[in-house]
Amino acid sequence: MKGFTGKLVGSLYPITEEECKQIHHAAVRVLEEGGMRCDDERAAKMFEKAGCKIEQDGKLIKFTEKIVMDAIGKCPGDFKLYGRNDPELDINIGWDEVHFATVTGRYIQDFRTGERRQATRQDAIEGTLVADALENVHGLYKSVMWIYDEPKICNSQILVAEQMKNTNKTSTWVYNTGAEHEVPDLIKIWQIAAGGAEVLKAKPHLIGHVIVNPPRVIDVNYTNWLIGFCDAGIPVTAYSALMGGATGPATLAGMLVQIIAETLALVVQIQTYKPGHPTTFNSFNPAMDMRTGLWSFGNPEYGTVGGGIAAMARHYGVPCTGFCICDSCETDQQTAYEKAFKLYSYALNGIALSWDIGGMAGFNFVTWPEMVLENEVVSFIGQYLKGIRVDEERMSVDEILAVGPLPGSYLNRKHTKNWYRKEFLIPKLSNRDFFESWERGHTELQEKAKEKTAKILETQKSPVAPEIQKEIDDYLDFVVKRDTE
Amino acid sequence: MAESVDEKYFDELAQTIIDGEEEDCLRVINEGLARGVDPLDAVEKGLAKGINKIGDDFAEEIVFLPELIMAADVMKAGMKILDEKIKAGGKERKSLGKIVLGTIKGDIHDIGKSVVGAVLQANGFDVIDLGIDVDEDTYIQAVIENNADCLGMSTLLTLPLMTMGEVIEKMNEKGLRRTVKVIVGGCPVTQEFADEIGADAVGFDAKDAVKKVKRLLDV
Repeated sequence: MKGFTGKLVGSLYPITEEECKQIHHAAVRVLEEGGMRCDDERAAKMFEKAGCKIEQDGKLIKFTEKIVMDAIGKCPGDFKLYGRNDPELDINIGWDEVHFATVTGRYIQDFRTGERRQATRQDAIEGTLVADALENVHGLYKSVMWIYDEPKICNSQILVAEQMKNTNKTSTWVYNTGAEHEVPDLIKIWQIAAGGAEVLKAKPHLIGHVIVNPPRVIDVNYTNWLIGFCDAGIPVTAYSALMGGATGPATLAGMLVQIIAETLALVVQIQTYKPGHPTTFNSFNPAMDMRTGLWSFGNPEYGTVGGGIAAMARHYGVPCTGFCICDSCETDQQTAYEKAFKLYSYALNGIALSWDIGGMAGFNFVTWPEMVLENEVVSFIGQYLKGIRVDEERMSVDEILAVGPLPGSYLNRKHTKNWYRKEFLIPKLSNRDFFESWERGHTELQEKAKEKTAKILETQKSPVAPEIQKEIDDYLDFVVKRDTE
Repeated sequence: MAESVDEKYFDELAQTIIDGEEEDCLRVINEGLARGVDPLDAVEKGLAKGINKIGDDFAEEIVFLPELIMAADVMKAGMKILDEKIKAGGKERKSLGKIVLGTIKGDIHDIGKSVVGAVLQANGFDVIDLGIDVDEDTYIQAVIENNADCLGMSTLLTLPLMTMGEVIEKMNEKGLRRTVKVIVGGCPVTQEFADEIGADAVGFDAKDAVKKVKRLLDV
């Protein structure tokens, strides 16, 4: 029979502990026999210090299992990202909590007009404010990829400044423009936002990304970022930006082997430069759509390989984060199923922080109503993760005995009143009308999300202290002047 | 009692409805009656205020069915005492209308009908809930005895549906349909069916039922 066979081969993780060992040995073999190309002299020195064999005049780095495992052994098993001035916004990056964060996109849909367009600085502010208001959004990536009404040279600085001025939630950063001052400028803004360089070190409020250029290249840009993040005390997530079938093998196990090999190389680099630095593995593993060449994120293989990365991270005792995202180019059923499957499976895989909320079409498209909708999806995931708590009170035997048999009802009981809000999810947007009521007239889900977005933006004010905002603005003025005059 | 003391008293009474605390409600009523509070005031300024607040909060989705049903139950218990006192004092209490409700003969589904009753009550109607498995004569008798403005019949099953038509026919025979409106509801009930048996309206859910009853009684 063609199609779905229903054969149950899955489990919480897509690979077993025994298979984790196989993947590990295969990845080590790649590092031992093939090694990594190294385009950065500083990086080569770090690898040399770790004991790696340096060949081809510093351009090829070869590893041993011992070097890899020594580095893994230095990674903390968990660490914290801190909300600024609000402990309730702290999130633990380990294996006992999962969190969800926003993602970015090149284009935005203006929810007021429906127009799809390039983003502006005001969009970046609004995206931050909406994310700040949503209770299930635990962290932010930049609201939009670029802003088109500001100079390109200091785009990243403006984006980060506006984000830091409009939320105290945790955030993340991936290399953006590559401009000369990008690394020190952004670190300076994060330090101002934290209340000083030492505060940022003690209580980092973001996680930075350090990425291998696949297949198997340690590059200059990410070494800049690695040094910047480590020096500033900003935890890092280390990963490969591999695309199955293009920059990685076209088998899932092969993708996983290369991803783990490349990740381990970065872990060696990071832990040699700064032993004990908080580090995660990360899922960012699109497969190429062989019909179009698209960098596909919504495919089920992405989620499966992501689960494999999580299994490997757990095997090594290192936390794991991940990008989700979908391929669909609008808020529609495809977006819903691609995201729901992946977010839920990532949550079950224990991926501590998933970047997904608001983004569609790879990293091409964001809308704030989508963010509002995914805030609701995450509330569903949270309810699934709660499972069934079994204790005497919740088993309710006395209540069952007191009420039944019919005509007794639980609806007018104190027990019901005391428990239903704790045990049942009452969704904010999802339709639960009686069919006839719904048929007589209703507001479509997407309209509800737009209405909620508008309401948030009418009332949401920045929670960031005015003096911090001013200091950020002053620094930004200096940056813009320096870069544009 | 001084006016401010009265206000505090009525607020306390209203709060017992909002909290769904029957024992507290009855205690506060009895304390009030002992202190000479007018039972009509206790209903209008205390219980009604509480149930209206719950009704508003339900409409705003601040509270949900358990709070509403509990408040309605407490209201009913409090009204039982106060109505007797009001009658004994020769006074009459005004309401938006009297609604007799019940699940039709052959069906024992209680919840939907009870929810409708609670929401009607929270909107200022007097509700006489006959319970489940109610036959034709019991409906008719309750309508006459209570001088009802409206009869509500409900079922979740298809077989008892035709009994609803029989009740309406009997009401016609007794001349009750000139003054008593009929609303029907429940999963298998459609507008077409309601038209066929001569009902005045269908309540598709509790809020819809309240809207339709208000329209039928022009309140």
